[in-house]
Amino acid sequence: MIFSTLEHILTHISFSVISIGITIHLITLLVDEIVGLYDSSEKGMIATLFCLTGLLVIRWIYSGHFPLSDLYESLIFLSWSFSIIHRILKHKNHLSAITAPSAIFTQGFATSCLLTKMHQSGILVPALQVQWLMMHVSMMVLGYAALLCGSLLSTALLVITFRKVIRIFGKSNNLLNGTVTESFSFGEIQYMNAKTNVLLNTYFFSARNYYRYQLIQQLDHWSYHIISLGFIFLTVGILSGAVWANEAWGSYWNWDPKETWAFITWTIFGIYFHTRTKKKLEGFNSAIVASMGFVIIWICYFGVNLLGIGLHSYGSFN
Amino acid sequence: MEALNPSLPTTHFLKTPLLRSTFNPQLHFLFNKRTPTTTLSLSISCKLRTSQQDVKNKSQNVSKKIALSDSSPPPLKNEEASKPKVESSSSSKGSVVGFMKRLPRKVLSVLSNLPLAIGEMFFIAVLMAIGTAIEQGEAPDFYFQKYPEDNPVWGFFTWRWILTLGFDRMFSSPIFLGSLILMAMSLMACTYTTQIPLVKVARRWNFLQSPEAIRKQEFSDTLPRASIQDLGVVLMGSGYEVFLKGPSLYAFKGLVGRFAPIGVHLAMLLIMAGGTLSAAGSFRGSVTVPQGLNFVVGDVLGPSGFLSTPTDAFNTEVHVNKFYMDFYDSGEVKQFHSDLSLRDLEGKEVMRKTISVNDPLRYGGITIYQTDWSFSALQVIKDDEGPFNLAMAPLKINGDKKLYGTFLPVGDVNSPDVKGISMLARDLQSIVIYDQEGKFAGVRRPSSKLPIEIDGRKIVIVDAIGSTGLELKTDPGVPPVYAGFGALMLTTCISYLNHAQIWALQDGTSVVVGGKANRAKGDFPDEMNRLLDKVPEIVESSISKQSDGISSG
Repeated sequence: MIFSTLEHILTHISFSVISIGITIHLITLLVDEIVGLYDSSEKGMIATLFCLTGLLVIRWIYSGHFPLSDLYESLIFLSWSFSIIHRILKHKNHLSAITAPSAIFTQGFATSCLLTKMHQSGILVPALQVQWLMMHVSMMVLGYAALLCGSLLSTALLVITFRKVIRIFGKSNNLLNGTVTESFSFGEIQYMNAKTNVLLNTYFFSARNYYRYQLIQQLDHWSYHIISLGFIFLTVGILSGAVWANEAWGSYWNWDPKETWAFITWTIFGIYFHTRTKKKLEGFNSAIVASMGFVIIWICYFGVNLLGIGLHSYGSFN
Repeated sequence: MEALNPSLPTTHFLKTPLLRSTFNPQLHFLFNKRTPTTTLSLSISCKLRTSQQDVKNKSQNVSKKIALSDSSPPPLKNEEASKPKVESSSSSKGSVVGFMKRLPRKVLSVLSNLPLAIGEMFFIAVLMAIGTAIEQGEAPDFYFQKYPEDNPVWGFFTWRWILTLGFDRMFSSPIFLGSLILMAMSLMACTYTTQIPLVKVARRWNFLQSPEAIRKQEFSDTLPRASIQDLGVVLMGSGYEVFLKGPSLYAFKGLVGRFAPIGVHLAMLLIMAGGTLSAAGSFRGSVTVPQGLNFVVGDVLGPSGFLSTPTDAFNTEVHVNKFYMDFYDSGEVKQFHSDLSLRDLEGKEVMRKTISVNDPLRYGGITIYQTDWSFSALQVIKDDEGPFNLAMAPLKINGDKKLYGTFLPVGDVNSPDVKGISMLARDLQSIVIYDQEGKFAGVRRPSSKLPIEIDGRKIVIVDAIGSTGLELKTDPGVPPVYAGFGALMLTTCISYLNHAQIWALQDGTSVVVGGKANRAKGDFPDEMNRLLDKVPEIVESSISKQSDGISSG
């Protein structure tokens, strides 16, 4: 009982802190460069990370197994992964605008009323009682988190390249303009409506173009690095899953919907790397592939669970 | 604030997708302080060269030229170009011979085409997605009802499509397998024609003798008043392998990053080969055995492909010593266990193991998995007679919610309306007992040995006998597939490593430096600038003195 209360408190603290943090984050960008406020939003992210870590640890102790056995737990773990990525990339200003809202989004979804039934941790079915669970699922979720971040950066790149309507807001600092652009484009991407309300700094044309070009270069560069990292996690996750399946289900590959979609994700990001080997296609085309990957990861992560079909039905909604 | 008129930026940005590629060197221009005209011409020449190359390439400019002239096949033609030749070749014999000589190269170059490979990957991904969207492995009637002709999905998709294209069994359909085979061939062709030559070039290709060649690299800079030895020391200090010959320098780091993509492709091929072996050469079978009985492995296993050959281990007899379940306090199943003994032809026990889910038994290439369970019989003592074995029948099997029942006749068995005691159970743990009238009489645990009185009859449930559901298989494909998995994980990680190459040439008192990297292209100029900052500048009056001091220190 004490555990569940503590867990409840931590969930809400982390959610509130992260919301406040992001609000502050946006305010600092819109109004002016207020160093103190920016610091506090960063502190908020650290607090969130600690809360989420505490949440996971408590759940682990309480339930006696690694907290990755259902959708709720894996969502918490996903937002934890986003916070970790956020910590790792803390120096990259405009990247935090992707990771922080991602964290709040998953966290909010996990704690939303939609999934309240699943909050109490259940028991482990026989097939999950093995160390492979920790290896396989944590690798998969880390991979998803990194790939989501990377493909969001790529989508931001696309948005910036393709944007036709530009609205100019107040005087935003040139170094922070990337952050603003992406904080807003992030929200749009979530609703698949990437055409409106993007901010860009106004400078005389050549200088602005230069910054824009540099921003695109940076986005390309960072999305590539994060996707590479996520791809490694995904590879390890899929392969460890295959080895586990050979121990538990009798075959290393069953064409189960979840693993098929994981393989589709893997293929799509394989295509991403191949488009990059060709200099002509680099950047723009690979960004298109990566944004397709974004949709596919969500299908893989949620869509298959929504249907609740196949052998991976542990994480389904009922 | 300055430009609230949206029309101006709009027109400007409409151009940018076109301008973007030509802008690329302009970044270098900003770093290199070169004149805009030269950078522009450079970018045009780069574009021309890349457009000629259809082979997958990671290298740039100069080494690419070598890859073309020495080892890689001539520029590729598309598939259409080779098709008319097939028709025309039948007309004259001489051209047939010539064509046959050219054919392997043609096929290779078509297969190693990067857009084709990307297309194949997309196609496979789409097929897999369809395979998860359409219910797999159902009877034709199912598809007739689900995808009727009079009400097609999206206006055209009916069962005819599914059954004609074999989408009802997507992952063994000819289309899917064919595209996988094509993919494998592309992998091989790409490795052979593109990747291996690239590595050869990367390894062989050493010193650049002209400053122009160095300036053509992705990154280049000129250091006035510097010595190439100092540069070598600086590069060595940051982990480069440095080679110096006279006035020229070559340095590289992370060559293994070049090899790794080949490793990835070979690992994929190994996995595919292993998968084929699995499909063609394995045996599978499942069996439900009540506790205390036995079966012969060979009777259960059925071959799956033409390469399946039975081994001596197939004569092994498996005896189920015990089947039991662990439960959580809440009553839900925690784990299933089967205690199995393996006996050879002479009846000698060769192996004994308690298997559970996630912990299979392996013997002589055969793997025995715990996959299922069922209720075999109930051992009952009625009025101190018996024990009788009452066979349990499955009443409702709905997913994991199993229900078994049995019936103990009471009174005259031969009368037309025989009555008796019903016993129902969900698992081996507790039995629910109903009397002749169908009223609930009580719950008993087999372990408690507590009698229950029904109409004066004393009934004791002695034991609940379960049967274990086992799955057996032999799979010769597992070792190569696992080897492929290991190699794939390793090489994917190594692929992330950056292969950086640096050339430099002492040109009078200045040093011309150029370099390129196959990954982390954005970081490379920064890293280079940082390294070049460390190279000491030599004051002109004391060139020899200064360089001596540095080389000795």
